[in-house]
Amino acid sequence: MNAVEIKDLYKSYENGRIKALNGINLTIKDGEFVSIIGPSGSGKSTLLNMLGALDVPDSGSISVAGEDLKSSKNLNEFRGEKIGFIFQLHNLIPNISVRENVEIPMFTQGMSSKEMKNRALKLLDDVGLKDKADILPNKLSGGERQRVAIARALANDPSIILADEPTGSLDSKTSSKILKQLIDLHEDKNVTLIIVTHDMDVAKLADRVVEVLDGEIISAGDDSLINSKIDV
Amino acid sequence: MSFLKFILKNPFRRKTSAILAIVGIAIGIIVIVALGGITDGLVNTFEDTIHAGGADFQISGKETGDSAYGTNTIDASWTDKIANVTGVEEAYPIYVVLTSVGDDYMNTLIGIDPEGANLADISMKDGRMFKDGENEAILGEIYADDNGYEVGDNIKIDGEDFEIVGIYESGDSNMAGGVFTSISKVGELQDDTDSISNIYVKVEKGVDAQEVADRIDAKYGDDIATITSVMEMEQMATMLDMLQASTWAISLLAIVVGGLGIINTMLMSVFERTREIGVLKAVGWSNKKILTMIVGESLVITIVSAIVGSLIGFLGCTLLGPQMGIEPLFTAKIFIQAFTIAIVVGIIGGLYPAIKAVKLPPTEALRYE
Repeated sequence: MNAVEIKDLYKSYENGRIKALNGINLTIKDGEFVSIIGPSGSGKSTLLNMLGALDVPDSGSISVAGEDLKSSKNLNEFRGEKIGFIFQLHNLIPNISVRENVEIPMFTQGMSSKEMKNRALKLLDDVGLKDKADILPNKLSGGERQRVAIARALANDPSIILADEPTGSLDSKTSSKILKQLIDLHEDKNVTLIIVTHDMDVAKLADRVVEVLDGEIISAGDDSLINSKIDV
Repeated sequence: MSFLKFILKNPFRRKTSAILAIVGIAIGIIVIVALGGITDGLVNTFEDTIHAGGADFQISGKETGDSAYGTNTIDASWTDKIANVTGVEEAYPIYVVLTSVGDDYMNTLIGIDPEGANLADISMKDGRMFKDGENEAILGEIYADDNGYEVGDNIKIDGEDFEIVGIYESGDSNMAGGVFTSISKVGELQDDTDSISNIYVKVEKGVDAQEVADRIDAKYGDDIATITSVMEMEQMATMLDMLQASTWAISLLAIVVGGLGIINTMLMSVFERTREIGVLKAVGWSNKKILTMIVGESLVITIVSAIVGSLIGFLGCTLLGPQMGIEPLFTAKIFIQAFTIAIVVGIIGGLYPAIKAVKLPPTEALRYE
């Protein structure tokens, strides 16, 4: 089964002046690890936002984890159940504890307080931060914050993890640690992992590298014909 | 952590923001409570002042016409009838007779219950009030001066010895030239305890005296007459109306100033959380859940602020007001008004930016700085 099916996806901003996505076609299988690369402004983050239902396309079709995102009325619910986000700047809520940050997505799942606490502590234990559960995120290093973001992304056991430059603001040693955790997660739980990066060393770790330029996929990392206009 | 506990704890996690929000909202509440207390105090003081004097009006027999001290009498039972009319707080009879007083062959002797003497618009200058049924009298200062009487002297009234126990003042020269003793004593001297001359009537606080007088006229006008100072009553009513209109204007101003402060505070505190709202949307929170959280937090912060603001407004006015010659009056209405405004305006102020934030696509909310 495919985790992602995108056909002729278009997205523009500022009344069509900026064409962020310009006819994207992409298929990603369940459990696949795909990296999306491209220079700044190429549309890779917009593509990731579409995959995570954080933004809506102008035209085309997009189905993620079996959900037609163009017609779905429950995008919040979909995100809560199926998607785990990891942002470049982690986007932790600064004034609540590390554990509470991990519990935040669980509020949508009807879990008891005790279940939420136990699950959050287990996830923090998995990323090696159980002992820092009760402190505020600003007391953590950049790498530790990103590990908390990984724990939060896994809160509701999603089938797809979307990571936008997850190591973009980290030093190389910390980056390696974070990437290892993501890859372990992908392998252990068979989670579909989609990483946006402009770092080729990171991209090469994936099963497949999708290359985006000017809102178009110029290489899908497989034999499929991605875009008839490409001239690679 | 339960959602309710999360809502209760959340507003106080950002201590600086929480303190600023509480201060901002509390200032609005202080304005509402303090101005409410001061204006209510003003109205109360004014009502007390116009109420504190003597009787609001008098009742006399029909045939005595406008002569307040006519010697015609009415039956003493009228006092109870008048006291039972709606709006009447006190009704005391007086019995005015012309009799020998001291060296005067004929002078005015006024009998009144000592309890109701305040209605006669007299105030003690020296000594004390006479006791009921005793041979005690108080003299008007003009009469006492003209005739060289002092407290402790004796005076002959209608052939009986009376002790002068006090000297009184009155703005009315007729009164100041008269002599008071208890009404029971006058009845005894006249050998007629079933008659009275007039009835002093004081209406309940906040009740229009003219309305009560009209009510009495409508009910008993065939037998008795009400004697009112129409000009004075109309002027008082007009002044009270103006004062009440002014207090309304001040209260409205307080509500607007306080309300704007509260809205501004809530707008700022929610707008600065737009990015957080974006994160909550990204992790799957529904718009309804986010709005519930914001409204819940707004309620918590406004209720705390309303308590703080009410306490400061109340204590500040109570402690400082008297030093500035102001006697504030705090009724439950003021606090209910302050809490209602705080909660309603606080929720609106919180809800508006929250609705704007949840309507933003998560990507835009996440980019918000």
